[in-house]
Amino acid sequence: MISMQLLTSGVIFGLSLGSIFFLMTIGLSLCFGLMRIISLDQLLYYSVGAYITFSVSALLGNIWLGVLAGAIVAGASALVVERIVFRRIYDRDLPFTMITSFGVLIGGVGVIKYFWGLVPRPVGEPIVARVDILGTDIPVYRLVIVAIAALVYIGIWLFLNRTIIGKAIRAGTEDVEHVEGLGINVYRLFTITFVIAGALSGLAGGLYAPLIMVDPNMGLDVLAFVFMVVIIGGLGSIKGTLISSFLVGQVVSIGSLVYAPLAQMAPFAIMLLILLIKPTGLFGSQMLKR
Amino acid sequence: MAAMSFVRWWWGLLLAFALVALVRVFLPLPFANEIIIFSIYTMGCNYLLGRIGLISFGQPAYLAVGAYAAAFYLFYFGNNPYVGILIGIAAGFLVSLAIGPLFVRLRGDYFALVNLALSVIIFYLMQKVLAGITHGDNGLWFLTNLASTPVLDLSRPDQFFIFGFLVAFVIWAFFKYLDDSIFGACCLATKLNEDKVKFLGYSSFNIRLTAFVIANTTTALAGAMYAVYLGFVSPEITSPARAADPVVVTILGGVGTLYGPLVGSIVYTGMKDVLSKVFGNWELVIGFVLVFIMLAGEKGIWGSLQPLLEKMVLRVTGKTAERGGSGQ
Amino acid sequence: MTNTDDILTVSGLNVAYGESKALFDIAMDVRACQVVACVGRNGAGKSTLLKSIAGFLKPTSGTIISDGASLVGMSAFAVAGKGIKYIPQDKKVFSDLTVQENLELGSYASQDYDWAPVFDYFPKLKILIDRKAGHLSGGERQMLMIGRAILGGPKLLLVDEPTEGLAPSIVMHLRDVFKELAKKTALVVVEQNLPLVCAIADKVYALKEGRIMAELTGRASITPEACEQYL
Repeated sequence: MISMQLLTSGVIFGLSLGSIFFLMTIGLSLCFGLMRIISLDQLLYYSVGAYITFSVSALLGNIWLGVLAGAIVAGASALVVERIVFRRIYDRDLPFTMITSFGVLIGGVGVIKYFWGLVPRPVGEPIVARVDILGTDIPVYRLVIVAIAALVYIGIWLFLNRTIIGKAIRAGTEDVEHVEGLGINVYRLFTITFVIAGALSGLAGGLYAPLIMVDPNMGLDVLAFVFMVVIIGGLGSIKGTLISSFLVGQVVSIGSLVYAPLAQMAPFAIMLLILLIKPTGLFGSQMLKR
Repeated sequence: MAAMSFVRWWWGLLLAFALVALVRVFLPLPFANEIIIFSIYTMGCNYLLGRIGLISFGQPAYLAVGAYAAAFYLFYFGNNPYVGILIGIAAGFLVSLAIGPLFVRLRGDYFALVNLALSVIIFYLMQKVLAGITHGDNGLWFLTNLASTPVLDLSRPDQFFIFGFLVAFVIWAFFKYLDDSIFGACCLATKLNEDKVKFLGYSSFNIRLTAFVIANTTTALAGAMYAVYLGFVSPEITSPARAADPVVVTILGGVGTLYGPLVGSIVYTGMKDVLSKVFGNWELVIGFVLVFIMLAGEKGIWGSLQPLLEKMVLRVTGKTAERGGSGQ
Repeated sequence: MTNTDDILTVSGLNVAYGESKALFDIAMDVRACQVVACVGRNGAGKSTLLKSIAGFLKPTSGTIISDGASLVGMSAFAVAGKGIKYIPQDKKVFSDLTVQENLELGSYASQDYDWAPVFDYFPKLKILIDRKAGHLSGGERQMLMIGRAILGGPKLLLVDEPTEGLAPSIVMHLRDVFKELAKKTALVVVEQNLPLVCAIADKVYALKEGRIMAELTGRASITPEACEQYL
């Protein structure tokens, strides 16, 4: 059997992984909810965040500044893409926007290869301290990631429930035409949501960079996990995204302790099982307007 | 009269394949073979998207199923490429029949994502989990295993081209036949309004499942042909970066048009060869081309050319306007 | 032709859903503080007309002019920003938001934070202020939708089948509200309930199969019988 120590570190590892998944998928979920698009290019902003973290931290020597810059640049690239590409195609069918976003993703990977080359780049860990939890040595940085994800969740919750823009986004998730009918510029809401999503994906990339190697295909590497999270949780549901992020995080982490290939296969099996019972995921809504 | 309509039914098909034969004369053989296989590969995706309205980002998964099934046979058990291809088809049929009932129940967006996930999972499966059998990233090499076969020797690229040409022709004729059948009408109706199809007494589930199995079996056939032609299969065939290949080609050629996959394959393979030599950055090129096509209009190359060609044909023959049954 | 008193002038309006045409050469005008009713059977194009004016549908040809500016090609939110508010038929409020939040959105859009007029018309909303809008009854939802729309003092309200499926007492209440509203704002009401139409309308357009069949002006000529013959 697995020792207690392995299990504890596995759970913590799963929590931090789940946090990264959550940061990446919450944007996807918001975009789907409000704009009814599946924005595969979020995976690009994730890579952008990681690469900017790499470059800025190499330049300034401070990884936290790098992460911050990563999130900002990711948000800015999301803004550019939204203005040039998505603004024109919001009213098209879902497959249409999805294909387009895949084009952005692939093209963006090409841009990254152009600037940074093919060689994987390392990013140092900003916190090297370790802490003892239940007799297990745990890197503090992983706990910090979990804390940051928790803060982001609280921040998003406050934004959606306490600010008028957030309320308009919630209303738009239900029926975007009615929001427009009130006289609210929904395209501005779209832009705001898209930029927030991009920045959060960039934050995820920046935070995850020290734990992996930064390489051009890193977005494509997590692609399967991100979509399994989104599908299990149900498209457009923030609560579902939160729950399934941590579920998949744990399954990957604990699963790989038991038998390495389980890390990839187990979430997929769970996804198929959930779809068998509920074809729209745990918290996805049955109806889809537009 | 019947003969006339028969001729009109087929002329496009014959013309298209005359073009392919012409390509063979002017362009190198690997390019021609690539086009043939790629267009068969895209046919399935084109059918799902154009006729059922299901976008599948997971076609590489079924390509890999066909390719690996053929490869396992040719590497471990036998050496007859024809048998390998048949096994590839059978594997594609069985796999899509097994997962189809679960997948086709899903809403369009979930369908696209789940297929994408499937293709990544198959990638991991072949690269890591089954590495003992598949030799992981090194892939399975069996080119020298292939036995020479009578009539058309598939181990020789020039004869493989003739074989591929014939197979593609049969596949095209088959999809053309489907388009004109009741089933084709049901597919289109399912795409447009699922509820009304149900009221008519057809099961939209069965229609989707049948289309799903047909499309993916076709894709598996293409996979098996790749395996035989290259004499080599590696997980690269289903890597996430290539997930969009068939979708891109479908869009390039024009969704739902019968000759779209052929036109798209020629353009795509050509671009891949030429542009990646010039720029050396394949993703950059294909990403921007894709976004550009999507913004310019979703009809694609063939979809935009088709009305023009029809007008030209009409002017030449001077017939009154009746749009040919080319499936738009 | 265009009267300076008109706050809305529509002429030669053609609208199509893809290949199928829904409206043919519609011409109508609405003056300030006028109540205009559109009657007609289901599928006559009444809702299409309102949606086109509100900017949700793009006409294939024709003009829609309000205060000298063309509304054609404007986004729906911009039309609403000009004080032309559309109240759709579906009675869908933002069910996950409270009544207060629903009103806040109306205030945010119009920059009018004075809710007193809303509560004057619909005192009930004040009681329900913290209730999730999804838990409201059909009548209460309609009140909320109208309340949300009148914030900012619109110059024209486009109301689509406001009384459909509501209890008679609420219909009476809405009738009084519309009469009261008409003192300050113009209304275009699509309505099947002919007695209500006759009680409030200054002008009636009868639509059939996408065309205006008749225009009745003046209180005297607007009777249920007169409207009936065009249905």
